[in-house]
Amino acid sequence: MQLSHLKKIRIGVSLLIFVLLLLFFLNIHGRMIDPLAEFFLRLQFFPSILRFTVITLAVSSLGFILVLVLTFLFGRVYCSSICPLGTLQDMIIATGKRFKPKKKRRFIYTSHKKLILRYSVLAATLLFWIFGSLFLLNLLDPYSNFGKISVTLIQPVFSMLNNSLVWLLQSFDVYAVSPILAQSLPADVVAISLGIFGVIAIMSLWRGRLFCNSLCPVGSVLGLVSDRALYRIAFDDSACNFCGKCERVCKAECLDSRNKIVDHGRCISCFNCFDSCANNGLYYANAYVSAKKDTVQQQNQLHKEKRSFFLTLFAGLLSIPVLKRYAAAQPADTSLPGLIPTGTSLPVTPPGSVGHDHFTGKCIACYLCVGACPTNVIVPSFFDYGLEGFMQPKLDYHKSFCNFDCVRCTEVCPTGAIKKLDRETKHITQVGIARFMYESCIVTIDRTDCGACSEHCPTKAVKMVPYNGLWLPEMEPDLCIGCGACEYACPTEPYKAIYVESSRKHKFATPIEDDEGPRDHDLDEFPF
Amino acid sequence: MYRRDFLRKSFLYGAAAGLGASTLGPLTPALAGLRPQTTKGNFDLVAVRGTDLVIMFERAMQEMGGMSQWVKPGQTVVVKPNIGWDVIPERAANTNPELVGAVVRHCLKAGASRVTVFDHTCDNWQRSYENSGIEKAARDAGARLVPGNFERNYRNITIPGAVRLKEAKVHEQILDNDVFINVPVLKHHSSTNVTIAMKNLMGIVWDRRYWHRNDLHQCIADFCLFRKPDLNIVDAMLVMTQNGPRGTSTADLVRKNSLLVSSDIVAVDAASTLIFGEQPANIGHLAIAERMNIGNLDLSAMNIQRVFM
Repeated sequence: MQLSHLKKIRIGVSLLIFVLLLLFFLNIHGRMIDPLAEFFLRLQFFPSILRFTVITLAVSSLGFILVLVLTFLFGRVYCSSICPLGTLQDMIIATGKRFKPKKKRRFIYTSHKKLILRYSVLAATLLFWIFGSLFLLNLLDPYSNFGKISVTLIQPVFSMLNNSLVWLLQSFDVYAVSPILAQSLPADVVAISLGIFGVIAIMSLWRGRLFCNSLCPVGSVLGLVSDRALYRIAFDDSACNFCGKCERVCKAECLDSRNKIVDHGRCISCFNCFDSCANNGLYYANAYVSAKKDTVQQQNQLHKEKRSFFLTLFAGLLSIPVLKRYAAAQPADTSLPGLIPTGTSLPVTPPGSVGHDHFTGKCIACYLCVGACPTNVIVPSFFDYGLEGFMQPKLDYHKSFCNFDCVRCTEVCPTGAIKKLDRETKHITQVGIARFMYESCIVTIDRTDCGACSEHCPTKAVKMVPYNGLWLPEMEPDLCIGCGACEYACPTEPYKAIYVESSRKHKFATPIEDDEGPRDHDLDEFPF
Repeated sequence: MYRRDFLRKSFLYGAAAGLGASTLGPLTPALAGLRPQTTKGNFDLVAVRGTDLVIMFERAMQEMGGMSQWVKPGQTVVVKPNIGWDVIPERAANTNPELVGAVVRHCLKAGASRVTVFDHTCDNWQRSYENSGIEKAARDAGARLVPGNFERNYRNITIPGAVRLKEAKVHEQILDNDVFINVPVLKHHSSTNVTIAMKNLMGIVWDRRYWHRNDLHQCIADFCLFRKPDLNIVDAMLVMTQNGPRGTSTADLVRKNSLLVSSDIVAVDAASTLIFGEQPANIGHLAIAERMNIGNLDLSAMNIQRVFM
């Protein structure tokens, strides 16, 4: 096979994976899409490692090992093909080229001095992780950022386009396309996503795959492996005529055409160099058996600086304050319904997430669950969990509630932060417990019937009891699963008269027995 | 007793007597002009007992004189079942899908140019449409389903004469179609004791929370001043008698094996309430509806056809 074909294959594979994952994030499903998308989801590096720490004995948790093996064999093909953020950067680079003057389109080899920064960032990320916070990982991981960009930036545009089409068709009395319920995203989260996208876009327009070789923790880990990969790109001294074309197309800026050196730690195996070379001046071969030994000795110099810089950063990160909200105590105003401030003190975590500690320790904040949730009850948070759960999703019962029969988020979560639940277990998984505010309820204050909370309750943990000729809500906490239907339905303003207080550790509610079936009729004649 | 007190009390008693007389209905000739319009069809109300809901519905319409009494050739029809919950048909929290299909077929057979089915669901609309079985049954019968959970599809209306619900946002399908057929399911309801035909109309407005905040029973009655369905078909086969309106299991259900059809929304609710096992006068919105002359609560004076199959 001609080596110049490798680039075409890489482009084909990377686009396929990118499109599959994007469709999955945009909640577009199909029998052909889902199994493939899920397979490539399992290959995402840090989600796979997190999953391994949750469900160790499962084939589906071993994606990262496959990635490490692939990297050892062929270099960082992960970064050029499997990583959707990598493909997104390639798209930005390709688009940017169209608007740049020809000379500015070129990449130039940069020496390896930035390694200090690169490995300090990796060390800081891992240190945070060891001390229980995924803060830096969730900020830097490429898969997580691809997810954030897909769900908070691309999905709203997609919904808007879809719904514009729906409303247009409806004006012609055609109802063939279904509208999408608008996701209400917090502005701060959208701003952060925009910021992340902006930084990555600027970095890639400026210096190609700079993000992958400086800030990206996956790139840094795989760089250590690809440095010693079996198959590496090397110059053929006899064929290379120093034309420098390969260097100009190298997005990783790791080809030194003058000295004929390739920095394999930074090479992302995009194979652009093969395609650019007219003389077959580069080859791809087993570096351990190849007779044409390249500059392995030179490579080894690169490693020395790698483990030195993280202490300064570590000192810095200790000074970052942990932000948490505390509800201020206020005297209760009972002149009208809904005047007593209510709301959970901790965010509610999705069913299957075991509890706060498990969830915040395993969630990579990719927002796959946010996009997949049919009721939009899962929303990204900002600092609601404090620093250790930066940007991780939570259940928000102001705009929606958790559907009783739905287990979608537990099916899609790639890291095991939300463990898979069957429907029966979900039915009794108590993510929180509803609290009824007697002094704030329409029935007690306005003296009219309401009962919206009980109406929506799927387990009748909120039941209605007689009260001065009316019906008043009453809680049976053992039946409550914290789905938030009552809180969502409660019509009081500005505060709800019933709300779900999050369970720090999820518990089990009393199951509903359903073995009786319908009773037979008790009347023979019509009672009128 | 002072004269002032005497005058005041006699005025109050007189007013009370007048109010009492008005609730007696047809017996007071002076108020007869305020009575609601006479019902359409051969009977004021048809009640059928049986085991097959679709056959019972065919019989009920036969007794009434056919769907052509309500649907003229070329007219458009909107059918509003209860699709409130993401629950399977066996749990009877939504209208029986086969009944909805049969209603759609009868409308098309009567010459309807188009039949539209929708509900403003409580649970996620797509899951509710699908898992209730109504989406498939209605589509198979030839209807189209439209979403009811998007504010864009609702238009502002005012309700003259309303006590609390003076304005609302109503789904455009209710406003734009010629014939409105209401197909509720009889169920227990946590806040209104029962939910039948009148309560089912909460699924054609946008802001239900307003109703809950502003005297729920009064709002339910007020809305009928704006638009009453042309025909009400009540599914009372499997009746949820507790834990309504969503229900928690099939143990909440009783086989009442009944179907009721009437163009009088209050009468059909009164009859259904009796089947449920409650007294109509005890249901807040029914008592108010009677007072506001929205329909007949007193079934004794009505022309009712009872069928046992």
